[in-house]
Amino acid sequence: MTAPSGPAPAGAPAVRCRSLGVSFGAVRALHDVSLELAPGRIHALVGQNGAGKTTLAKVLGGLQVPDTGDFHIAGQEIPAGDVRAAKAAGLAMVHQHFSLPPSFTVAEALELTAARPGGRAVYRRGDLQQRWQDDVAEIGGTAALSTRIRDLPVEARQSLEIVRALATEARLLLLDEPTALLTPVAIDALFERLRRLRDSGVTILVVLHKLREVAAVADTVSVLRDGELVLGPAEMSEVSQGRLSDAIVGPAGHADSAVGVRTAAHESQETLLELAGTSSGESAFEPGLTAVDLRVEAGEIVGIAGVEGNGQRSLVSVIAGLTSVTEGTVRIGGDEVTAAAPARRRLRGLRLVPFDRNTEGVSQSAPLWLNQSALRLLGRHRGRSPLISLRQYKRQASEAMDLWRVRYDTATQPAESLSGGNVQRLILSRELADGVEVLVAAQPTRGLDFAATEFVRRSLRGLREAGAGVLLVSSDLDELFELSDRLLVIYGGRIVAEFDGPYDRRAVGDAMTGAVR
Amino acid sequence: MEQILATTLRSAAPLVLVAMAGVFAFRAGIFHLGLEGLMIAGAFTTVAVGDTTGSVELGVLAAIGVCLLLSALYWWVIGPLGANVIIAGLGLTSIGLGGTAYALGAIFDVRGSLFTDVVLPRPVRDVTSGAGVIIAEHSIFVWITPLIVLAAWVVLRRSRFGLRLAAVGEYPFAARSAGVNPSMVRLQAILIAGALCALGGAELSVGALRNFTENMTNGRGFIAFVAVIFGAWHPIGAAFAGLFFGFADAIGIQSQINITERVPREFVLMIPFVLTIFAVWLGGLWRRRSLEAEAGYAELREPDF
Repeated sequence: MTAPSGPAPAGAPAVRCRSLGVSFGAVRALHDVSLELAPGRIHALVGQNGAGKTTLAKVLGGLQVPDTGDFHIAGQEIPAGDVRAAKAAGLAMVHQHFSLPPSFTVAEALELTAARPGGRAVYRRGDLQQRWQDDVAEIGGTAALSTRIRDLPVEARQSLEIVRALATEARLLLLDEPTALLTPVAIDALFERLRRLRDSGVTILVVLHKLREVAAVADTVSVLRDGELVLGPAEMSEVSQGRLSDAIVGPAGHADSAVGVRTAAHESQETLLELAGTSSGESAFEPGLTAVDLRVEAGEIVGIAGVEGNGQRSLVSVIAGLTSVTEGTVRIGGDEVTAAAPARRRLRGLRLVPFDRNTEGVSQSAPLWLNQSALRLLGRHRGRSPLISLRQYKRQASEAMDLWRVRYDTATQPAESLSGGNVQRLILSRELADGVEVLVAAQPTRGLDFAATEFVRRSLRGLREAGAGVLLVSSDLDELFELSDRLLVIYGGRIVAEFDGPYDRRAVGDAMTGAVR
Repeated sequence: MEQILATTLRSAAPLVLVAMAGVFAFRAGIFHLGLEGLMIAGAFTTVAVGDTTGSVELGVLAAIGVCLLLSALYWWVIGPLGANVIIAGLGLTSIGLGGTAYALGAIFDVRGSLFTDVVLPRPVRDVTSGAGVIIAEHSIFVWITPLIVLAAWVVLRRSRFGLRLAAVGEYPFAARSAGVNPSMVRLQAILIAGALCALGGAELSVGALRNFTENMTNGRGFIAFVAVIFGAWHPIGAAFAGLFFGFADAIGIQSQINITERVPREFVLMIPFVLTIFAVWLGGLWRRRSLEAEAGYAELREPDF
């Protein structure tokens, strides 16, 4: 299912870089990368987490000054670290992390970052909204313009990043993992949009994680491994799937096994998580729960399928104790915790892999060891000294991170310095350390590379073998089908269907769209 | 009552001017604790140059110049040199307080107060009774303060420059990816703040009074900073907070003149400070937003691209 190839390359390459190299301390992020990208095509850039994809994207966008090498965009040499020059040469960038200030309204953020000509130095609010109303049709229309960025759900923020990039007259569009946060439907729409852009002459460089997505949209593919360009750019039609994955993983590539987890002792067939007739108030962008009945037994993975925005966040939030329940009960490990604080639920054995790992899962500015130790500070060690030993905490955190193969330099570096897959490993190393009764995993593999995804899935299975319960909330149906012992479908804040494997994709899909009531 | 309102306006004007300086700095992500030092440097320079040349205009211009220089120095220390913003700000305040006291002795051979005949023009004069007292005898700076607040609002909330400034303060990565140089925007914000502090200091020395006295700012720079927090770093909010503190000050001043019998004088004198503590507490309620601003402040210490 290769996409039709774009117009034949002509003239100067859209991007030409020579011997680019970037090091962060002892870590070599990019080494001697030379690359030429033909104009008017969709180029995919793939590689594992930490392979240097984001660093390369940042160098091209002028946000990272390379130690060695230089690069040209559309034949013009771009001075290292010059964002404006890169923009002037026609480059627009969609970052992996959000690049819009949280307190800005959508209209203000677009005015700040999109730099469309014709704006006035001093404006009235109405003028600003008028200027941008056509661009935001797909993320909620005019009403969204006065919404603050921080109040937008993750999906809408991601869409807005793309809207922002496309609002300028881009000749070269650089997207860093744009699909990481999108639903399958939104990904198809994005790819369609990229193809149309390509056909209108725009060159596209897109960082992707899933080979399926590469095959669906790319004309050429390049592979980075440990900071070096190991393949490409090669025509998609000339590269086999096998060769591609070999290039990504490398000769030393081997799947690392899941870590054994210690769970709390309990008898099988015990109900570890139970919601009975639970309802909650609605949030700004999601329905609340309505009379949800849900049970997770010991030793099973229960999947929650649904189109995003149908109450998944409310569900996780209610279980975690962050949203109060208006009706019904929540029980963890047999104890009623309906009104209990989050900390008590944690002590009772609830573990959580949240939706947005960077903002909800870790404190970005806190050091790794502190992030890793957070659960141990909950007061599990009663009877011991109220003082803690920093050295011991750091040592234990380092051991746990080594066990879970987090790639890091020192335990004191901030969590924001880790790549996505490594942050997820860090969170798992904390959440699954010991005493797990039930794990709520929200989109645990979203945005992770192949190896990290497999690692997380194996960890969830390992948890099931060890007799814990897992509630897996995901928008990836393949993942749900592969892992779940039972599958519940959430729609409009209600559980509308329950399935046992083997699953019928069509029936589940119908339930997700509300066709089954 | 009229006297209290008149005193309120007179006390509030320097506070509001300096609070606007604080708002510009705060929005750019800088906890500017050098406001006090800049304010007193402005007050001194106005009197010193004004009295020497006999021209209040030259005095004010010189004050603006000195404050711009000090502000550029402050930017150089916290930006390119990477010093801690809080410490550098307190250092700037020390330089202002100590430097003006030293210069007073070294240049004019005066201890305590330097009196002058130059004074800012007062558009409305010679009203001795009725409601007119409220607006009489105020310097031109009291009159233009509302215009400056309005201008600050337009610049910060309704201009592209304001968007860039807010982005730099809140999320420098966003600013950088929009092609904005955070370091330069911070310099601009700090310079604007410096000029506003000069105006606030000048109003204090030759607007409300006719002299420069050692330590005459007496913590007003810090109270203005509190007004910034109290007003949720919105220009209008900070202006009302400044007005409120001016009112508290006026009650204190008036009660010194007419000692009431029922309330001990000391308690009345505490009012401005009690209100300030109350304001700090209220400011804490906006914790979420101040945390965002702190994130911007933390980023200051990182190298700029």
